[in-house]
Amino acid sequence: MSLRKLFAVLPALVIALVLGAQPSQAQPVHTGHIEVELVSQEAGAAPGSTVYVALSQKIQPGWHTYWRNPGDAGDATKIVWTLPPGWTAGDIVWPTPEKSRVGPLLDFAYTGEVLLPVPISVPASAQVGSVVTLKAAAAFLVCEQVCVPEDAVVTLTLPVVAGTPGTDPKWGAKVAETLAKAPKPAGLRAVFALQGSVLKLAVTGAPLRGADMSGAFFYPYSGKAIEHPPEQPIERGPEGLTLSLTPGYDFTQAETKPTELSGVLALNGVAYEITATPGTIPAEAGGLGAPPAAPAKAHGAASEGASLGLPLAVALAFLGGLILNLMPCVFPILSMKAASLTAHAHDAGKTRVQGLAFLVGVVVTFLALAGLLIAVRAGGAAVGWGFQLQSPAVVAALALLMLLVALNMSGVFEVGASVQNAASGAGGSGNGVGGSFLTGALAVLVAAPCTAPFMAGALGYALTQPPLLSLAVFLGLALGFAAPFVILAFVPGLLGRLPRPGPWMDVLKKGLAFPMYATAAWLAWVYSQQTGSIPLAALLAAAVLVAFAAWLYGLAQTRQIAGKGAVVPFILAALSIVAAVALVVVGVRSVPAAPAPAAGTSAEAPAGPGLAAETWSPEKVKELQAQGKVVMVDFTADWCVTCKVNEGTALKGQRLVDAFKANDAVLLRADWTKRDAVIAAALAEHGRAGVPLYLVYPKGTGEPAVLPQLLTEGLVIEAVEKAAKGA
Amino acid sequence: MPITRRLVAAGLPALMAALPSLAHAKSAPAFIAVDVDGKTRSLSEFKGRVVVLEWVNEGCPYVRKHYSGNMQGLQQAARADGVIWLSVASSAPGKQGYFPDGAVAKAWMDAKGAKPTTLLLDPQGVVATAYKAKTTPHMFVIDRDGQIVYEGAIDDTPSAKVEDIKTAKNYVAAALNDVKAGRKVAVAYSQPYGCSVKYKDA
Repeated sequence: MSLRKLFAVLPALVIALVLGAQPSQAQPVHTGHIEVELVSQEAGAAPGSTVYVALSQKIQPGWHTYWRNPGDAGDATKIVWTLPPGWTAGDIVWPTPEKSRVGPLLDFAYTGEVLLPVPISVPASAQVGSVVTLKAAAAFLVCEQVCVPEDAVVTLTLPVVAGTPGTDPKWGAKVAETLAKAPKPAGLRAVFALQGSVLKLAVTGAPLRGADMSGAFFYPYSGKAIEHPPEQPIERGPEGLTLSLTPGYDFTQAETKPTELSGVLALNGVAYEITATPGTIPAEAGGLGAPPAAPAKAHGAASEGASLGLPLAVALAFLGGLILNLMPCVFPILSMKAASLTAHAHDAGKTRVQGLAFLVGVVVTFLALAGLLIAVRAGGAAVGWGFQLQSPAVVAALALLMLLVALNMSGVFEVGASVQNAASGAGGSGNGVGGSFLTGALAVLVAAPCTAPFMAGALGYALTQPPLLSLAVFLGLALGFAAPFVILAFVPGLLGRLPRPGPWMDVLKKGLAFPMYATAAWLAWVYSQQTGSIPLAALLAAAVLVAFAAWLYGLAQTRQIAGKGAVVPFILAALSIVAAVALVVVGVRSVPAAPAPAAGTSAEAPAGPGLAAETWSPEKVKELQAQGKVVMVDFTADWCVTCKVNEGTALKGQRLVDAFKANDAVLLRADWTKRDAVIAAALAEHGRAGVPLYLVYPKGTGEPAVLPQLLTEGLVIEAVEKAAKGA
Repeated sequence: MPITRRLVAAGLPALMAALPSLAHAKSAPAFIAVDVDGKTRSLSEFKGRVVVLEWVNEGCPYVRKHYSGNMQGLQQAARADGVIWLSVASSAPGKQGYFPDGAVAKAWMDAKGAKPTTLLLDPQGVVATAYKAKTTPHMFVIDRDGQIVYEGAIDDTPSAKVEDIKTAKNYVAAALNDVKAGRKVAVAYSQPYGCSVKYKDA
């Protein structure tokens, strides 16, 4: 360093030291709703470096300013700089915004205190020792109910210093934190694909592995890429996630389709900048379902559940289990129980053992299902009670099982231990301990999807509790469900009232086979709704094979009893069963090829001749409410018999149609026949884990009224009229 | 069967030719609303005419910016060309920009020298919901066939400053010129800017 240079630097160092106490200076400006100030991360600016200067907005409570893409309405903050020659300002580093809902619109906004940092390049020629003034003319729109454009010219004086300047004592840490939290690219791979009316956005990469994905949201940089207000359902995957966006103008109408979709992916507390390109959605960006309901979202359930408390929840569950015996979907199972009970109605010892076996069967199956449900939910899938019937494979298996039970009751074949009694004609399935256990298990499998009154609240409570407490509630449910049969088996007075056994029992059993055939037929229909006509054909073919196998098996049994060879029919029966299983497997495998049409048609299907239902979405409810309509939402599923009975009896009649017309009401239907994260979330919001759920929203705004799970026409009309008046 | 096949084959090119235009067109939703004179107006009564819809909220600074003369000028020029100009006030009762009756709206129009064909009172937000109107102003240009050929901002400069109008490119004027000349509208969509439409549940 030459002497001349040293002399040039020396005064600067002195000045820097003097200014050290008060390095940068700014005056806040109050514009009406905002206090604006220009602040700096560094205490000074070194020649050739970049310093971050931020526009600080202290926004009046209730008001907000806007992000770079303001969303549906609004206007982003703009800064016009006046800088010394050679100094240049970059773009604002936008912190992740908040979602601000205004009626049907969604804006991207900031509230409270926000810093908008801007990188300022200091020229190498900047004179060390000089003090520069940075001037920013900021224009911003600040809105509450109304919007006010405000302006401020703010300045900041910064000393030019040699070497690394220290951080500003007041603002340095805050600006640094804002910069650290601002969305940044993180080597994430992002791909988008337009699938019909849904724009899938898949993001994968190391930072997303095992990340908390609840509340994930994509903020697009362009205001024309997607519709802002709709929910963005989340599908988690081992390597990332897939969001279902609603495509906007650029994807639906523009002549040249976008080749890029960029914006901010915000998770809980972190945000990444992503630029997606067209491509195939990778498998590792999905498959794990929606994230577990966020605590904030489940507040409805929590508050309802908290007021319930464990003892009350268990008591309600017991009561619910009792009533479950009377639900339409349990009738065939009841018939089986009756058949097996009368077989030994007057042998108290055997009946008691059977009663206990049935109880164990019910409890074990209930707890196993509950355990599975809890495990799957812990894994993050948005499933609820009745979820087992959302899987076509399970439905197909149950249909064939029901057919087998029916054939058994029809006397086509006998089960295991009861072969010996077959000739006497007094035997039957469910005769032994194993049979009673199986009856209990079967009853639970088919009855579970019917959430009965009282059960709904208890289940909603159960699924928001730690696993052990949940299981306690399910145990209550199981005990309630098994109670009538067990009581019948243990109270001698009751048993004495049953008629004496005799040949009439065989007739009863064969007669009661028909509800079982009906159950099989119903499940086949549910299966067809979930899959389509070709898988249904495969299932029906499998049913024929199963019947054939049952007949062969029965034939072999008869031959065995007669002392003849039975190997050939046994082998043929086994082969038929294998073929039947293979058919079902092929049928189920073919399903993913065409899932959308099935869902679409079942959702669009009108309720009946009178009242047509439209497909539900949270936005649609808001939209219709805004139009001054009363909105009733029917959360249903094809496998939910209670739902179907309600729809057939209470949601169909002419009186109801007239009442809907008179009160300007609309029926929306949310079909949960197949898994649907948005519907599951909506159910959770109302503290429910299953269907049916009936909501009646008043016109305009306001929370919905929840109707009971067994509807009558009068009840619905009353609720709709009340909603129409209430607004 | 062969005849059917041939028919389909012959029809295909025609169908394909029709498709691109169909793919981008968007039919203007029908609506019925009461205007400042208490008359019931509907979109269908203007069949065969070019129609401009302008969402308005007299209290909104962005509306005020353009009512410094820009909006009135556009209205006059458009109507001179035979265009139907409908201003729509969708602010709900109690919200900024709500007109309790036609007289109040007319008084505002007179004070501003506004020259739309008429102003529709939409306090329930029915027309706004049908068009998904987001901001004031939010502009729509509907061609003679009832297709929305432009929707979005009034110009390309989102700001509340009157002085920005001079340098801004007016999208509505450009769209009307394109329609008049029988051309395809060059910019058919833009992100609207301004105050949010004051829907009643907002």
